[in-house]
Amino acid sequence: MIMDRLARALDDRLRLSPVTRRALAKVFPDHWSFMLGELALYSFVALILTGVYLTFFFDASSADRVYQGSYAPLDGSTTSAAYASVVRLSWDVRAGLLIRQTHHWASLVFLAAIVLHLARIFFTGAFRKPRELNWLIGVTMLTLALANGFTGYSMPDDLLSGLGLRIITSVVESIPLVGTWLAALALGGEFPSDAMIPRMFVTHVLLVPAVLVALISLHLGILVRQKHTQFPGPGRTEHNVVGSRLWPSYTLRSLALFAWVLAVLFALGGLAQINPVWLYGPFEPAQSTSPAQPDWYVAWGDGALRLFPPWEFRIGGYLVPAPFFPGVVLGGLAFLALYLWPFAERLRTRDRRQHHLLDRPRDHPVRIGVGVAALTFFAVLVVAAGDDVLARLLGVPVYDLLYLFRILVLALPILTGAVAFLTARALRRGEAASLGDLTRADLRRAGRPSRRPSRRDDEPETPAPDRPGERIELWPEGEVWRWRYRDEARRLVLTANRVAVSEEEAVEAARLAYPGVDRVVVPGPPAPSPPGPVRAALRRWGRAAAAGSLLVAALVERRRDRRRQRDGDEGDPREKADAAPRGGEPR
Amino acid sequence: MRRPTPSPAEESASRRIVGAFLVSAAGAVGFAVTYGLGGDTRWEGVCLAVAFAGLAVGLAVWARRLVPVGGYVEEHEGFTPPPAEQAMTAAEFAAPDSPTRRYGLLAALGFALTALGVAALFPLRSLLPWDRVRPPRALKDTPWGAGVRLVDGTGRPLRPDDVPAETMVAVFPEGDPDAGDAPAFAVRLDPERFSRPPAGGHLGGLVVWSMLCTHAGCPVRLYLKGTGRVLCPCHQSSFDLLAGARAVAGPAARPLPGLPIEVGPDGFLRATGDFTAPPGAGFWSRP
Amino acid sequence: MRRPRAVTLPALYPRRALVVGSVLALALGPVALAPAPDPTPTPSATTPAGDRGAQLYLEQCASCHGVRGQGSQQGPSLVGVGPAAVDFQLSTGRMPVSREVSQARRREPVFSADDISALVDHVASFGGGGPRIPRVASGDVVSGRDLFAANCAPCHGAAGSGAVLTNGWSAPPLYDASATQVAEAVRVGPGLMPAFPGQVLTDQQVDDLTSYVRRLRTERLDPGGNPLGRLGPLAEGLLAWLAVLVLLVAGVRWLGRRAAE
Repeated sequence: MIMDRLARALDDRLRLSPVTRRALAKVFPDHWSFMLGELALYSFVALILTGVYLTFFFDASSADRVYQGSYAPLDGSTTSAAYASVVRLSWDVRAGLLIRQTHHWASLVFLAAIVLHLARIFFTGAFRKPRELNWLIGVTMLTLALANGFTGYSMPDDLLSGLGLRIITSVVESIPLVGTWLAALALGGEFPSDAMIPRMFVTHVLLVPAVLVALISLHLGILVRQKHTQFPGPGRTEHNVVGSRLWPSYTLRSLALFAWVLAVLFALGGLAQINPVWLYGPFEPAQSTSPAQPDWYVAWGDGALRLFPPWEFRIGGYLVPAPFFPGVVLGGLAFLALYLWPFAERLRTRDRRQHHLLDRPRDHPVRIGVGVAALTFFAVLVVAAGDDVLARLLGVPVYDLLYLFRILVLALPILTGAVAFLTARALRRGEAASLGDLTRADLRRAGRPSRRPSRRDDEPETPAPDRPGERIELWPEGEVWRWRYRDEARRLVLTANRVAVSEEEAVEAARLAYPGVDRVVVPGPPAPSPPGPVRAALRRWGRAAAAGSLLVAALVERRRDRRRQRDGDEGDPREKADAAPRGGEPR
Repeated sequence: MRRPTPSPAEESASRRIVGAFLVSAAGAVGFAVTYGLGGDTRWEGVCLAVAFAGLAVGLAVWARRLVPVGGYVEEHEGFTPPPAEQAMTAAEFAAPDSPTRRYGLLAALGFALTALGVAALFPLRSLLPWDRVRPPRALKDTPWGAGVRLVDGTGRPLRPDDVPAETMVAVFPEGDPDAGDAPAFAVRLDPERFSRPPAGGHLGGLVVWSMLCTHAGCPVRLYLKGTGRVLCPCHQSSFDLLAGARAVAGPAARPLPGLPIEVGPDGFLRATGDFTAPPGAGFWSRP
Repeated sequence: MRRPRAVTLPALYPRRALVVGSVLALALGPVALAPAPDPTPTPSATTPAGDRGAQLYLEQCASCHGVRGQGSQQGPSLVGVGPAAVDFQLSTGRMPVSREVSQARRREPVFSADDISALVDHVASFGGGGPRIPRVASGDVVSGRDLFAANCAPCHGAAGSGAVLTNGWSAPPLYDASATQVAEAVRVGPGLMPAFPGQVLTDQQVDDLTSYVRRLRTERLDPGGNPLGRLGPLAEGLLAWLAVLVLLVAGVRWLGRRAAE
């Protein structure tokens, strides 16, 4: 009742219903890999929620402060205010350690989710025209996430992160010509400067998050404007999106995923200790701790620093130190390659068409080969960053491991890349459905040079247009029109995601989605599907909950009322399609 | 509309959803109780995780069992604009009164904006340290210099006897122990074993070197007794103190700079100058 | 049951474990490092107490360290090492070893406390002085933490979890060491560890240090849950990836799939 009134009041003033109608009807493809980006999004929301709480307790200053609190080994010690406040937050603020740990876990999960999402986009070719812009924004967000992860890791001013900060400063200083100036510009002095913690704080809580929020909004805005891609399949073309609607299906699923991400993060935050800064102690320029590693998402840089041989040279008397190549050149090239990939691939395939249907990873053996090799390369670097820990756990000399990793980092990517390339080619040429179906003959064929010209190799197969048995059915329903797509041969029926206010609109939408498919006007709606389940479920709930407890019963009743007002009658897809946008208007 | 009768499958799904939400509420109550009782990170985390997991399971079962999935199609109009529309938009820009046709004015505007943009970069310079010397110079200079006494971590000046054999003593310049580039260490080695003399000289086997690794600047504090080697914890560079602190393994390329020392008239150790080279990681203008 | 493993570990581990996947090893946490094979203890209760040390020494130590502790090809000289060194090596089970090893590992002591003190007395009779067994009192953990960070954390890690050195040597974790053993190690500097004599660390400072090291082993310092072996960020990263792949991606797959109805 109240929700309905509120919705109407807002609509009377802002005229939101046309927008809302379209938004609620947005169709999401039903494939799990489309929700990997949501993992990153919800980790980011968790980061903001927990991060805001942390700012109330964090003192971003390197001024001397005496810690007094329940952590006995530091009680009465003079440390930087930043470090003292983090120890206080961890030991003396109730739930402070939980929130801090959850924040840190969320950052690790955030970066991991971004990498998974990136890999999905890459291997399915979702970055192709017209989505290059969102690819560039995504890669930019990855760099920003890395930067924010590193500043967040360094802000507590503990010994371990101090070593990391010292290393990154050294890497920046290694840049020819401007390195020392850049480092001084960032730190406001020589390492460790008094200005560095306040500057990292502003960067971490204001600058980068603001840009990230803006870019995420842009990322999602472009996604909505360009609509989702989808995998090829029956009824799916370059001109439509097939799946479930935002309301109610994906609303519920997304909320479930959000809650699940929070559940996992809080479980990690409560059960697994992360970055115990009180054990590491405050940063002192002359102290060190071992083993010393950064968080995993920058560990590839640390691994590269370890593996790169002690090669440095002079240009006209000026020094180019060894960390320049693994620290600056490697990262720079990696991100340059990421930024340029869509354009490089277009240059190679000369494919200027728009793509809304995804590739299967096997469709582009070169792409999957390069992608797998790159992922392997960086994975080896991350593991190499832990060579000292591995050496101790395995009981082998650390320099033996070092030489092993120097070989692995070059050999393994070539190996895995080649395997991925050949497997993709075997799958593609042999038309085997999955890895398990591959025959020896398929593998043999994959080894031979391609028979077809390579350009042809990279063109995705277009689904055959216009099969017999396909048709569009349109019918009036009161004042509005509906349509649906029907494929008799495949027993497939796809309903339009929203009602049309006129026959012309319905025809236009159907023509866009299925160009060239015959349209017929049918007199009335097709046979009704079985009665809707939601309504019945809601009533069931009321009973069950009332039997349980009064409190829960009241809550459920209210929810039920709200849903009744908003949904009108749910369950039958045809009815639901117009019920939601019209805000439960009686029909 | 009339409520339809639920199927048994729907009823069981509804029961599961209610159960999940009840578990979630219990988790929330548990969190509040834990907090009220004084707080324990583990229980707080578990309770919150249960609360959110209950929500997640309830919503997920709801989405999977009670809401139809799939079966919808949305048209995609593509991004190829109708040629007429594109031409009309282009015509707007080509109209006679369009600002884009005043090339001279546009050039002047561009010049002004460029100037403004460049001027806006100037305040960035304020982020540099004002009162200090130029950054490359600052990296070369350390608080060490002729006459600066060596003190230990507590600020106590050191005599030669305070550095026994086969241990590593961290030393700092008196008066500025917190400087980032100042840390050094003193060891006492057998001069007979030197295959290469230390860069800063030695006092009967007593040698002082910069503590900062020449690779990425971490303090080289892992002293391996008897071997004359020190090891960096960050990237496992190792330096041979018996061979002039030469880098012998790992990614470091240059030897550790030495600190020339003498015994002052008061009997305490003091430096006779700065390090033999800028300490720590390399940079462009490093000599 | 450990003995056959101990012999094969150094040879097998690099090959097998690296093939299996070094990441897996990180997940497993600190596995038991190869203990030195233990020789059979010889119970000979009939010997008079005074000669007990001499007899044990001849049976267990003399073959490597020489009859008068003068040392040999197999073992270093024991003249002047001091009671603290002997007590440390025996009470941590690092000695005796049945064959030459590059670094003896901690294990259950072979000798009883009485036998150890008899051996300590016997080795002291070779002469040469050396550090005495320290008497440890409880000290101030604040000063202890400071000293630990400055002197011990570089090798043993700020969390006391140990770290690798070169040539297959490592600084061991400190969680099993008793207060006396910690103080002995500080004074003696066993193996590659530098010694910290009186002019570097006073007795009071050693007391502070041992109090802090003893505290490091308590779980009270891990209020945030499982410490993951205190191995640091890479272990945390591994767990984060496991959580993402096992919990989150599985959740996504479950949500993204159609329910079978």
